Amino acid sequence: MFEAIIDPTVGLAASSERDPTALAARPASLSGLRLGLLANTKRNAEDFLTQVGRELGTQYGVQNVLARKKPNIVETAPEPMMAELRAECDIVVTGVGDCGSCSASAVADGLLLEQSGIPAVVICSDAFTVSADAMADLRGARGYQYVTTAHPVANLTPEGVRARAAQAVPAIVALLTQPVTEPTVATSA
Amino acid sequence: MTAPVTDPVAQAKAAIEYCYEQGWTDGLPVVPATQSDIEACLATTDRDPAEIIGSQPHLGRSITVAQAAANAIMAGCKPEYFPVVLAAWQAVTQERASRGAWQSTSGPAPLIIVNGPVRSRLGINCGGGAFGPGFRANATIPRAIGLMVRNGFGVRPQELEQATQGLPGRWSICLGENEELSPWEPLSVVGAAAPGADAVSAMLIRTCEYVDNRSTDSAEAVLRDLADTLARLGAYVGGPHSSGGLVLGPEHAQLLGSAGYSRADVQQWLFEHAVRDRADMVAAGKGEHAGMESDGGTPFPMMPSADAIPILVAGAANAAMSMVFRPFGWAAWSGRSVPVAWKAADHLTGGVPGGS
Repeated sequence: MFEAIIDPTVGLAASSERDPTALAARPASLSGLRLGLLANTKRNAEDFLTQVGRELGTQYGVQNVLARKKPNIVETAPEPMMAELRAECDIVVTGVGDCGSCSASAVADGLLLEQSGIPAVVICSDAFTVSADAMADLRGARGYQYVTTAHPVANLTPEGVRARAAQAVPAIVALLTQPVTEPTVATSA
Repeated sequence: MTAPVTDPVAQAKAAIEYCYEQGWTDGLPVVPATQSDIEACLATTDRDPAEIIGSQPHLGRSITVAQAAANAIMAGCKPEYFPVVLAAWQAVTQERASRGAWQSTSGPAPLIIVNGPVRSRLGINCGGGAFGPGFRANATIPRAIGLMVRNGFGVRPQELEQATQGLPGRWSICLGENEELSPWEPLSVVGAAAPGADAVSAMLIRTCEYVDNRSTDSAEAVLRDLADTLARLGAYVGGPHSSGGLVLGPEHAQLLGSAGYSRADVQQWLFEHAVRDRADMVAAGKGEHAGMESDGGTPFPMMPSADAIPILVAGAANAAMSMVFRPFGWAAWSGRSVPVAWKAADHLTGGVPGGS
């Protein structure tokens, strides 16, 4: 009856029509693997990731080889930064998605790395799972798993950040080593 | 399958409901757009319908001139508004603050300002009740921008859009500048458009707050009142400074103008006086950038700089009140107004008929 009405969303493909993002194969063990950390500019993000790197180093024998901070919370990391991560790292942890834009863009970063064959774990605060999921859907990876930590992260003390990061480590390790099949969100807190 | 609806009013209602069901509306009814509507919009411009006028690379989405036309019609625009919609879209999207605005927890609104003769041609209100409601062009041009974000970029509330509380009037703030009652040059001339040209300026804002001061004939008293609101702690979100701009009512503007203040003088005065004691900021838990140790006790300037306090004039000369608005993010207005690109033939014949 309403065929004459113009669809104003033309150009938005439904999720099922998009090219799926292929996720990277998971290693059996993290020992000796080269870890990259990709932080955004949100307060406490770098400290959070640094602590994750330390824990992965001492507990799992991962080598911390690269830590980068992307300049813009809205967009994915610039290509030269991505190229560096692809060239020098076997696994990447990125985050912290603790705002409307950066939760989605952290997932986009993770999926770009996955597409290049690098297992990537995204850390988002639990207040922003909807926008993180929406980005995964948009990139053809509905159900992409990431690690959540309790919101907010920005107002944590240095001790609070370290404790929170340590708490997230088992979920990060699980997502880095277990085949990604279940469309659920791993929760650390 | 239900029986076909033949009553035209019932058909119109059904079409509106259909648009709701598709998820195309901002909560209010939209005007269903047809191909002939799109063509009527496209006839007002020399732009290519397939031209991409905005994109969100991180979302893999972009929007074309033709899509803008569909959303403008849906918003309730007349086709002759379309060149202003395109200029407003460009003005909004060229602002650095718009890059993350649509997904932000801050949920900012475009503030769209129109200068030039187009105000009377299209009925864009710059006088009484300039912030609305009641005027079709003022209400529908910013709504078109909102529908373009929703339907073109696919950024919808509680999905990719994560506004914590949102903002009253997010897609409804468009006003003409009251050039006739302003003591200063049009904002568009500050924005490098030619004097007398139709032009659109835009900023992203988080709120508007009134300053009502009808009790004094002192320019400095009014300035002090304005500076107090500009320096409000709640609006400061951390970082090296807060943000602020003014839509002065004509009475305040004329009081300042007749006391000899240029726009730049007003900006300078406000920059110097919109300050806070650093101890106040620390007491409110916002002292991180206040530099208590090194500043020697000088107050913290809340405005970025004198020329980063945009000032325009709108409203009626019937009461001495003004509006402080609060730009989103730390990027000040780009200072670039966008000329409205009329189709050459329209301009030569005096343009399309005036709006409602």
